[in-house]
Amino acid sequence: MQNAEQSTFISSLTRIILTILLSFFIGSIIILAIGENPLTVYGVLFSGAFKGQLGIGSTLAMFTPLLLTSTAFALAAQAGASNVGVEGEVFLGGLVAAYIAGFWTNLPKPLLYILAFGGAMLVGALWALIPALLRVYLRVSEICVTILMNSVAIFLASYFVAGPMSAGATFSQSPPAVIRLTQFFRPSRLNTGIFISIFAFVLMWVLMKKTTLGFRIRMTGTNPSFTETVGLKPKQSFIIAMMISGALGALAGCIEILGVHGTYLDNFGANLGTNGMLISLIVDNQIMGVPFMAFFLAILRNGAMAMQQATNVPKSIVDMISALFIIFATMNITFNFVSKRKKKLQAAASSADLLQETDGKIQSNAESEDQAHGSK
Amino acid sequence: MDLSNILNISLIYATLRSATPLIYAAMCASITQQANILNVGTEGIMLTAAFFAVAVSYFTGAWYLGVLAAMIAGAFMALIMAVGHIKYKADITAIGIGVNVFALALTKFLMNVFFHKSGTFTHPDIDVIPRIKFNFPASWGEVPQLIENWPLTEWFVIVVLIALHVLFYKSIWGLRLRAIGQHPTAAESVGINVKSMKYQAMIISGMIGGLAGAHLSLGYGALFTENMTSNRGFMGVAAMYFGGADPLKTTVGCLVFGFADSIGARLQNLGMSPQLVLSMPYVVTVAVLAVTMASKLQAENKRKSALTKFR
Repeated sequence: MQNAEQSTFISSLTRIILTILLSFFIGSIIILAIGENPLTVYGVLFSGAFKGQLGIGSTLAMFTPLLLTSTAFALAAQAGASNVGVEGEVFLGGLVAAYIAGFWTNLPKPLLYILAFGGAMLVGALWALIPALLRVYLRVSEICVTILMNSVAIFLASYFVAGPMSAGATFSQSPPAVIRLTQFFRPSRLNTGIFISIFAFVLMWVLMKKTTLGFRIRMTGTNPSFTETVGLKPKQSFIIAMMISGALGALAGCIEILGVHGTYLDNFGANLGTNGMLISLIVDNQIMGVPFMAFFLAILRNGAMAMQQATNVPKSIVDMISALFIIFATMNITFNFVSKRKKKLQAAASSADLLQETDGKIQSNAESEDQAHGSK
Repeated sequence: MDLSNILNISLIYATLRSATPLIYAAMCASITQQANILNVGTEGIMLTAAFFAVAVSYFTGAWYLGVLAAMIAGAFMALIMAVGHIKYKADITAIGIGVNVFALALTKFLMNVFFHKSGTFTHPDIDVIPRIKFNFPASWGEVPQLIENWPLTEWFVIVVLIALHVLFYKSIWGLRLRAIGQHPTAAESVGINVKSMKYQAMIISGMIGGLAGAHLSLGYGALFTENMTSNRGFMGVAAMYFGGADPLKTTVGCLVFGFADSIGARLQNLGMSPQLVLSMPYVVTVAVLAVTMASKLQAENKRKSALTKFR
């Protein structure tokens, strides 16, 4: 079993690295078409992300919310849910945190921290509960509902900050928060939120790998009808996974507001949820892979700014390359290329292995190949 | 508050106008749904097409070339999904989301490179889809004015609807398409090439999605904005659920969403918060989606209990 797990890990790592290389290769062709040297451009991109205290700090500050949003998506995906709504939950989490920290100012500060974090996460969880209930009891596609609800969340947040929660400034902004997360790596905006973020990730990893609830969530994702038969209540697990996912998204928003901005700015969390989803999909929704990919994407996004200043290449090329990642990653093209030799070995495998393979084929080719290979 | 300011005859046109892009999008989703593929990438197909429609129309000065380019771009995006899903067994949700993100990035990037702009691109050189004028005399009253001055694509949506209805329910191709959607193994056993049918459905879907995009950027407006589809693709998918991928029933769903959109615009004139008004079509869509699925589930349960009764 240990061996199988290790083999899965190594092969998915190879797959991800090959996907990245392929995407960068296509990126180079585009850069060449613009008339720049890809090596210089990539050089500026990566060195920019680590240039001085500001560079390193900004990359880590970018990593903080991405780790949370990608974990949020991956966790829901483990239960078979595509929670595209993380984007909206980031906004709502930030909104609630800004409201509590900006308006309930006469409360003692320690209590305010608890209320801001707790309130944000509660609202995020409840927001995710709606699509979860619709999915479980009415079989409404959660992708459709979460995406439409993202629009609602963003409009709602911008309504509150322009109207009832406005600090009276000409542009949409809430009153300054009286509690903050300390920024300790000046001049960057890196703040203590990164520790909260990492702690939350570790907690989620333990939850998924070591607890019964985590086991139930994973079972729900892989085989809901079987889970139902053995009495593990897949509907309940699905709902819980969605709610945790929503809470994590809202936590990201809360940290962004209290740690980075200190007040609710309209449109502060644009693309945090989408990028989290991207990260999770690239690593095939495996919780363990999330932090590495989140860090990598943080480097890309932070370095993009330096790249745009130094070369003719617009920073949106980074979005292009990351979108290519996800297309290649879902297709498993690169993996199929590597595993051609493995397939030959598989043909000679025992009938038990073949059975296992056909069983797994329904889920994904890649997984089954690993199982058959690993169990030898 | 004067109700006649909200409910008047021009509301009908406003509803049709808002519903047209949704109908195209819903048709894009319906045709693949008949082959049992949930077209999550409708949004991305539309967005890419909208960009290429504007870009080609701007560079060539011919709207029909813009529309053609939009259809090709849409088909290309659909083909990415088709190859990923059918050949490389990618999860349709994952690759659909991938295509949406890719479309967003691609259009943003190309706008930067070609027009050195970000945000919105508009230019007098963009040749828009022509509008059809009947020049009804004013003495005929308000009603004929409703169909005055529609862009060509607003009329063309009717053609698409009838064509798809005939294609789905009156043609051999449609029968095969529905067969592979409902019983792929049975369809295969009578010699239908399931994969080829799915590819065909995806490419046609992409072309219709391309029309949706072209209409949005060259008919509905004359500009391209980042993320200008603003989840209309998903509203189309929701309408497709509403109508069970039947073109005519799906259109009813689109009209409901279009109505919510246009009535919202009028409420805004009466001083309702613009943000709340803008979110209204999405709320209505989710609500309609929930009610539709609930009634479908109920019907299904009834059918099941009837079966057990007579067994």
